[in-house]
Amino acid sequence: MQIRDYIIRRLMILPFLIIGTSIIVFALTRIGGSPIGIYLSHEMSPAEVQEMKERFHLDKPVPIQYFYWIKGVAQGDLGWSGVASAPVIDVFPKKFAATMELAIAAGIVAVSLGIAMGTFAGARRNKFADHVIRIISVSGASMPLFWFSILLLIVFWVWLGWFPIGRSDPNLFEAIAHPTGFYTIDALLAGNWDAFKDAVWHLIMPAVALGYGATAIIARMMRSSLIEELQEDYIDAAKAKGLPKNVVLKKHARRNALVPTVTVIGLTFGFLLQGTVVAEIIFRWPGLGRWMAAAVLRGDQATIMTYVMFTSILFLIVNLIVDVVYANLDRRVELGD
Amino acid sequence: MVQTTASNLNNFSNHLIASVEDLKVYFHSKEGLTHSVDGVSFDIIDGEIMGLVGETGCGKSVTARSFMQLVQTPPGVIAGGKIRFKSKKTGNQIVDLLSLTENQIRELRGERIAMIFQDPGKALNPGLTIRTQIAEVFQEHREDDVFKKAKIDYVHKNFIGAILQKYIKQRTNLIIKLMLLVPPIRAYKKKLDKAIDKLVIEALAETQIPNPEKVMERYPHELSGGMKQRVMIAQAIACNPDLLIADEPTTALDVIVQARILELIQELQKRHKTSVLYISHDLSLVRKICDRVAVMFAGKIVESGDSDTIFKNPVHPYTKGLIKASFMTHERGKLEEIEGIEAT
Amino acid sequence: MSETEDTVISDQKMYDSAFKVRFNRNLEILKNVLANPTTVIGLIIVILMILMALFAPIITEPNSPDPYQMPRDWKAARSAPLTPGHILGTTNRGGDVFYGVVWGARTSLKLSLLVVSLTLVLGVIIGSVAGIAGGKVDEVLMRIVDVFLSIPELIFALAIAAILGPSFTNIILALVVVFWVKYARIMRAQVIRIKQREYVDAAKIMGASKLQIYLKDILPNSFSPVMVQATLDMGNIVLVGATLSFIGLSEAGIAEWGVLVSEGQAGISAGRWWASTFPGLMVFLWALAFNLVGDGLRDVLDPRTETRR
Repeated sequence: MQIRDYIIRRLMILPFLIIGTSIIVFALTRIGGSPIGIYLSHEMSPAEVQEMKERFHLDKPVPIQYFYWIKGVAQGDLGWSGVASAPVIDVFPKKFAATMELAIAAGIVAVSLGIAMGTFAGARRNKFADHVIRIISVSGASMPLFWFSILLLIVFWVWLGWFPIGRSDPNLFEAIAHPTGFYTIDALLAGNWDAFKDAVWHLIMPAVALGYGATAIIARMMRSSLIEELQEDYIDAAKAKGLPKNVVLKKHARRNALVPTVTVIGLTFGFLLQGTVVAEIIFRWPGLGRWMAAAVLRGDQATIMTYVMFTSILFLIVNLIVDVVYANLDRRVELGD
Repeated sequence: MVQTTASNLNNFSNHLIASVEDLKVYFHSKEGLTHSVDGVSFDIIDGEIMGLVGETGCGKSVTARSFMQLVQTPPGVIAGGKIRFKSKKTGNQIVDLLSLTENQIRELRGERIAMIFQDPGKALNPGLTIRTQIAEVFQEHREDDVFKKAKIDYVHKNFIGAILQKYIKQRTNLIIKLMLLVPPIRAYKKKLDKAIDKLVIEALAETQIPNPEKVMERYPHELSGGMKQRVMIAQAIACNPDLLIADEPTTALDVIVQARILELIQELQKRHKTSVLYISHDLSLVRKICDRVAVMFAGKIVESGDSDTIFKNPVHPYTKGLIKASFMTHERGKLEEIEGIEAT
Repeated sequence: MSETEDTVISDQKMYDSAFKVRFNRNLEILKNVLANPTTVIGLIIVILMILMALFAPIITEPNSPDPYQMPRDWKAARSAPLTPGHILGTTNRGGDVFYGVVWGARTSLKLSLLVVSLTLVLGVIIGSVAGIAGGKVDEVLMRIVDVFLSIPELIFALAIAAILGPSFTNIILALVVVFWVKYARIMRAQVIRIKQREYVDAAKIMGASKLQIYLKDILPNSFSPVMVQATLDMGNIVLVGATLSFIGLSEAGIAEWGVLVSEGQAGISAGRWWASTFPGLMVFLWALAFNLVGDGLRDVLDPRTETRR
C-alpha cells in the first residue's frame, strides 16, 4: 500500500521534472542568442533571412518559441545537427546504440566488480585485501576519467598493444548487418564469431575505464553496508544454526547488504552517462558522447539540447526504477507488533 | 560462596550435560582490556533448567555465546578455561567446546546446542521468509530426514544424488543451479522442497503457531514479536538439541506474551528432556522455572545453587539486592501473567 | 553527584569565556580529525598543493606577459622527461610540462576557491530562504533544486559552458550554476532541523527577531555540514573543471591541467606519455586529497554517517 502510493507520487512528479528540465535547456540555448545562424548563408538577402526567421518561428517571443520547439520535439523534429550535417533524429538512433552498448558494458563491469570487491573487502575487514580494495575504491571516486582512460591507452594500446581503439574492425563491420546497432548483439545475430570477438575486444578497454569510477562507488557502499549487516544479530543466529561461513555471508549478509547498494547503483548510472562523453573522445567511440563533445565545441544547439534532454530523462527514469526496486526490497519496515 | 566444580575430563560426572570451568573472556577496547568473563565455573545437569542471572553487562551473554564460539575474536579473547559438553548423539563423547575447530563446532551448532536470542525482531533475517530460515536447520543437519520424507532413495554415489545433496546442503554454484533446472532433477528438487515444507510446518506446529502453512510464507516483519519468538524457538528445537541456550528470550516481549513463551519453553523442555541454560536479569522469573541458578556479577559467579534456597537465603549482598530489585517487577509480572493465562 | 561538585563545575564554567569553550571544542575536533591517518595524508597533499600554487612564480619563472599562458619552447618540443630545462618533458607544441603542472595548481586553486565561495554563498542564501520562509516559497525553490539535480552534473556544466562559449571564465560560471544546489539542500535541511529545537523556541520567547535567531543560532550550527560539502567540492570542482577543459571548453594554451592533458593526447600514439600523465596525476591527487580531508571531517563533525565508510 505505502509502496504503491510512493510510486504513484513519484510518477506524478516525473512530468514536472521533465518539463522543468526542458525549460532550463531551452532557456540556456536562448542565452546564447538566436540560433538562426546555422540556417543562414552569406548569399541570403535580408528578405530571405526574414523568411527563414519566420519559417523557424524565430521572430516570435521566446516563450512562444519554446512551445514551437516542444511541438516539434513531439512530432519528432529535433532540429538540424550542424556537426553531423543531418537532422538530429536521423543520426540519433545509431549513436544512441553505440553509447548504450558502452554504458551497459561499463555498468555490468561496475556492478559485478563493485559488488564482488565490496563483499570481499567487507568480509575481510581490516585485513590486507580490505586495505587494497579500500585504496582502489577511494581513489576511484577522485580519478579523473580522462586521465585514467589515457593511462589505459598508453599501457594497453601503445605499449602492450593488447586492445584496439575505435569500435570495430572495418572489414568485420562490413561483413555483418546491423539491425540493432549493438555490435556485440548484431554479431551474435549474424552468428559471426569473429565479429563478436572483435566487438567485445573493442569494448573492453572503454568499458573498464568508464566503469572504474562507478565500481569504486558501488564497492565502497557494498563494503560498508556488508560490514553493518555482519554486525546484526541475525548473522549470529544464522551461525548458531550451524551454517557454513559462505552461506552466512552470501545468503544472509550479502543479500541484505545489496538493498542499500541498489540506490547507489542508480546514482552511478548518471556517472556512467556523463562519463561516456570523455571515454568516447579518448577511445574514438562513435556514440552520443563524442557527438555531444563535437557539438559543444561547434555550438551545435539542436544536438546539445537533444542530448541534455535525453540524458536527463533517462537518468530520471533509471532513478525512478531504482527507487521502486529499493522500496520493494527493503523489508526492514516493522509493520507487526 | 563460589561453588567450584572439581572435575576434569576424566571425571566429568555422568549426570552432567555441560560444565564450564574457569572461563575467561576478555575484550580489547579503547580503555584497555576488559575482563568481561573472569573465571566463571558452573555445571549444567542433564535434563535440568539452569538459570544464569545478572544485570546487563555482567558477562552472562558472553558466557552463553562462548558455548557456540560466537564471541567475536577480535575484539574478544578467550583467555582461558574449558566448556565441556557431552554430545549424546556421538555415544556420550565429551568435548571441550572452546577448542573445537570451526567445522567441528559447526556440526554441533543448531544440532546438539541451539540458542534462542533476546530480540527475535533482530535475530531473524528480515530479507528471508520464515520457511527459508527454519528450513536451513533441516537442510544443514537433517539431510537424511529430508530425503526420507521426500521418499527419495538416498543415492549419494549417484550423480543426481550428489547434485541434490549439494542443493539440500546449500553448497550450490552456478553449474549446480543450472543443473537443477533440468526437468528430471527439477522434479526431485520439487519433491525435496515439499518434504522440507512438511518438516518446517511440523516444527512450527510444535510451538503452537496457528496456521503454520501460512506463517511460513511470511517475512519476519509481518509477524508480531511473540510469533517471531515462537519461530526462533521452532528453529532452535528443530533438531531436538541436547542443550538449549535461552538468552533472555522474553525480555524484548510484552508481559502477557512473556508468560506464554515461558510456558512454551518449559513444556518443550519437559517433552524433549532438553537441558536448558536460561539467562535472565530477572531472579524471580528464573526462580519459577529453573531448578538451579548461578548469580553473576562483574564477570564472576558470586553465588550458585538450588534456586529456592538462593531466593530464600541469599548470602552475597549483590544477590540480596537483586532479589529486592526484582520483587517489584515480580509482583507486577504475577498480576499480568494471571491475566495472560486467562486470556489463553 | 553531590551538591558541592555541582557548584564547583558551575564556577568553573563561569570562569571560562565563551571564546575558550569554543576554542577547546575546536581543538578537540582538530585532534579527532588528525587521529585518522588517511585524513592526515590528504591534508599534507592539500598543503603541498596550496604551497605550490602560492609559490608558483618562485618555483618556475613566470611566463610574460601572461603567466597563466604556457611558455612555448618550440626548439625543445617533444622532449622526454629529465631533459635539462624541461624536467617533466615538453608537449608537441613545446609547452613545458613542469610549468603547466606548477601553474596549473594556481589555476585550480583560483577555480575551486572562486566556485566554492560563490556557490556556497548562493546556496546558503537560497537554502536559508526556503527553510525560513517555508510554505509556497520553499515548495517552489525546492522544485527548482529538483530540476537542477535531474540533469547529470558534468553534462549540465558542459551544456552551459558550450552555450556561453569556450573560455575559462565561462567554465567558472557554468560550475557555479551547477554546484550551488547541494548547499541549498543542506542549508534548508539544517534550518528546518534547528528551527524545531528548543533553544530556538527559547530565543523566540525572549523576543529575538527572526534575523537575530538566524544569525546567532541557525547559521553557526549549520556550519559543519556546509564545511564538509565545501571541502569535498574543492576537489570535485577541479575534477569537473579539468574535464571541461580537457574537452576543449577553455582557451587553448592556458596553464591548466585538463588543457595540458588534452594537448598531450596528440603525442600518445607516438609513445610520448609524459605530457598527459603528469598533469592528469595532479588532478587526481588534488581531488583525492580534498576527498580524504572531506571524508575525515565528515566522520568527526557528523558522527551519524560515521559507519558509512
